[in-house]
Amino acid sequence: MSSEDSVLIVGGGPAGLRAAVDLAEMGFNVVLVERRAELGGAPIRWKYHTLAPDMRPTEEVMSPLIDACKSNQRIKVYTSSVASSFSGSPGEFSVEVKGADGSSSTHRVGAIIVATGFEHFDARVDPRYAYGRAPDVIGINELEGMLRSGKIVRHDGSTPRRIGFVFCVGSRDRSTNPWCCTVCCGVSIKQAIELRRLLPDSQIYMIYMDIRTWGLWEKLYWDSMEKYGINYIRGRVGEVYYTGEKLLVKGEDTLVRGPIEVLFDMLVLAVGMEPGEGTRQAARVFGLNLNEYGFLKPRQPNIHFDSGVGGVFLAGACVAPMSIEEALEEGSAAAMQAAKVLIRSSKQRVPI
Amino acid sequence: MVDGPETHSAKRDDESKEKGKFIVERDYIEPTRIVEPSSLTAEGVDISGRWGTIVLPRTINEFDTSIYERVKRLPGGSHIANCWQCGNCSAICPVAHEHPEFNPRYLIHIVKMGYTSEIERLKDSVYLCSGCGLCSSVCPRGVDPQHVMIALSLAFHAKGVL
Repeated sequence: MSSEDSVLIVGGGPAGLRAAVDLAEMGFNVVLVERRAELGGAPIRWKYHTLAPDMRPTEEVMSPLIDACKSNQRIKVYTSSVASSFSGSPGEFSVEVKGADGSSSTHRVGAIIVATGFEHFDARVDPRYAYGRAPDVIGINELEGMLRSGKIVRHDGSTPRRIGFVFCVGSRDRSTNPWCCTVCCGVSIKQAIELRRLLPDSQIYMIYMDIRTWGLWEKLYWDSMEKYGINYIRGRVGEVYYTGEKLLVKGEDTLVRGPIEVLFDMLVLAVGMEPGEGTRQAARVFGLNLNEYGFLKPRQPNIHFDSGVGGVFLAGACVAPMSIEEALEEGSAAAMQAAKVLIRSSKQRVPI
Repeated sequence: MVDGPETHSAKRDDESKEKGKFIVERDYIEPTRIVEPSSLTAEGVDISGRWGTIVLPRTINEFDTSIYERVKRLPGGSHIANCWQCGNCSAICPVAHEHPEFNPRYLIHIVKMGYTSEIERLKDSVYLCSGCGLCSSVCPRGVDPQHVMIALSLAFHAKGVL
């Protein structure tokens, strides 16, 4: 494998997989390094049932990419591995890849793509929601697994009748994370619709500050009210605890300017997105800048792929919170930039 | 106050000034929440008047969707679920501009949420609607507030609220 023909990609989620498949289909060799044991990133790890906005099964989007990475001769996959050191210049980098099993290999590559993704906010950090203490308070990430199984149950096995969603958990809050995760409104509403389909007798209340179903995802919001009768309460939850078998949710309906204390059977927290350990580790290894929030900082905010380090490109939710559809496009965009470096540094290269 | 103005007849004002007037910072509590029984005995002890006074909580603790379900089935109310509380109806409403108690946006919200105490407080205001239809002409979601107001009055009547 010659260095001119190779790209090392850190992260096997939507952005990294898309970049790997695009580069391989253009005829370049790819080294794909994934910290976890499984390819697919957050959608696979958390068993996302369907994707917003059209409730398309996650497998329809992710499986072709994962299968292509596993079967394409040009893609060498290293799972349970990290890039541990890096040297050289664009067109001739040397990267060491270390496996969790103690194995180690060195790769000569022409360009690097960092696509280390995000972590779901851990709601235990914010005690007001009782997450971690009250078993019927779950995250939207965990609800995806329940929707996949088709069994929506409380901790005692009973079926919840009144279900609340709390928006912006670990988002837009100085005590946790001040940014907007951009997708949790749409994802929560998608899940609320799926819940109503599974449990037609349920009452669903969305407790929100603003609804940010950007672009064409707005249709989810409209459909949720017009076709599924989902209710919206503008406000923010102050406290949650059990009263008997039910969860007492304290908040304010800011449209009434009055406190509400209503019993729910289940509460779903729309947990936000934050940078994970994989992103911090990649920033250390490749000398990348982090912004004030800990996301990878591109040279300028409007062009995500440009890391500011020549030959190293960024893609996906390690740069900013984003949807899967955006992360896939960013993977393609970074692949294009990497291909440019490879073609420029390879004099004898013949286009395929 | 924009959302929940308090207007009382002169008689109710006189009554409410007497009720619970011994309460420290009495002005913080809406008179409708103070209950002072004129005659009440508990375990043989007369606790009429000030001794039996209770202050009803301001907190909303249940969603009663019965009126909402009825409104949805009435022809004028069939699109009430679409309302997202933008307030375009109240913004253009000539009655709301003059009469602080009439707010179509707010009436729709309290019915959708089933806030019975607010419905009880503001039920009469639906009749202030002049039926001019400006609200329905500007509503971005096709809620048709003009006809929702008629549906509300019918549902209140059927439910025995009015």
